[in-house]
Amino acid sequence: MPNRPKTFFESELERIYSEIPLRPEHYLQVRQSKVFMEKFYTSKISLHDLAKAAFMSRFHYVRIFQRMYGLTPRTYLRDLRISKAKTLIKKGIPITQACYDVGYESLPTFSSVFKKCTGYSPKNYQQLHKSNLE
Amino acid sequence: MLKIYVTSVPVADQDKALDFYTRILGFIKKTEVPLGEHKWLTVVSPDEQSGVELLLEPMAFEPAKVYQQSLKEAGIPWTSFAVDDIEKEYQRLLDLGVEFSMPPREAGTVKIALLDDTCGNYIQLMQEL
Repeated sequence: MPNRPKTFFESELERIYSEIPLRPEHYLQVRQSKVFMEKFYTSKISLHDLAKAAFMSRFHYVRIFQRMYGLTPRTYLRDLRISKAKTLIKKGIPITQACYDVGYESLPTFSSVFKKCTGYSPKNYQQLHKSNLE
Repeated sequence: MLKIYVTSVPVADQDKALDFYTRILGFIKKTEVPLGEHKWLTVVSPDEQSGVELLLEPMAFEPAKVYQQSLKEAGIPWTSFAVDDIEKEYQRLLDLGVEFSMPPREAGTVKIALLDDTCGNYIQLMQEL
C-alpha cells in the first residue's frame, strides 16, 4: 500500500488509543487468560486460574480485564460458554450434554443462565432451531 | 422483547451491491422484494442465516448522499463486520481485487481493517483479540 496521508479516522484512532492508560503488555497478558478460557471452558475455571494465566493478582486482573472489554472475566466466560452451548444445540447435541460440555455442573443453573443470555430456554432454542431447519 | 433484526448500508446501485456483498464478501441473499423503483434487499451471514439481516438500502435521499460522502472522505467506516481471522480474510479479499484504505492493525482489544465496498462506503472488519 503506497504512502498516503492519514485519514481523520486513522488519526482519531491513534489519538484515542494513545490516551488509554493501559500498557501494551497488559493486552498481551489479558489475551493469555482469554486463550486459557478458550482452552479450558469445558472444565471448572476459577478466577485464580485466570489471573495466574495473565500473570496478575486477582484484583488487578479483574480491573484490567473490565477496563479492556467492558465486562468482568466471569461474565465474559459465561458468554463464551453460552455461545459454545448454542453451537452445540444447533448441531443437535442433547441439552444435558451441551450443559456439561461447556463446563456447567448443574442443568437448572445452565438453563437459567442460557435463558438470561439468549432470551430462550435451551429447549425453546432447540425447538426454534429445529423449526428453522424444517 | 425487542430484537434487532436488520441494519443497513446505503448503496448507490442495489444490483452492484448485491454482487459485491454476496460474491466477494460471502453473504447470502435473504429477501428481495420489489418496492417501487427499488427493492427491499437483504443479505445474511452464512453462519447466522436467522440472525440480523443487512439491508442494502438504496441511496435515494439527497442529504444522506452528502452524509455518506463525508464519512467516506474522512475514512470513517459505515459499519463493521466480525471475522475470525482478519489476516486470512484480508488476503482473501485482496486476491479478489478488493481495495483497503487501512490494512489490518491492532487497536486495543481488536484488530481492524477498512475495505472499500465499491458502493460508497468503507466497511470495517474486526477480529477480537
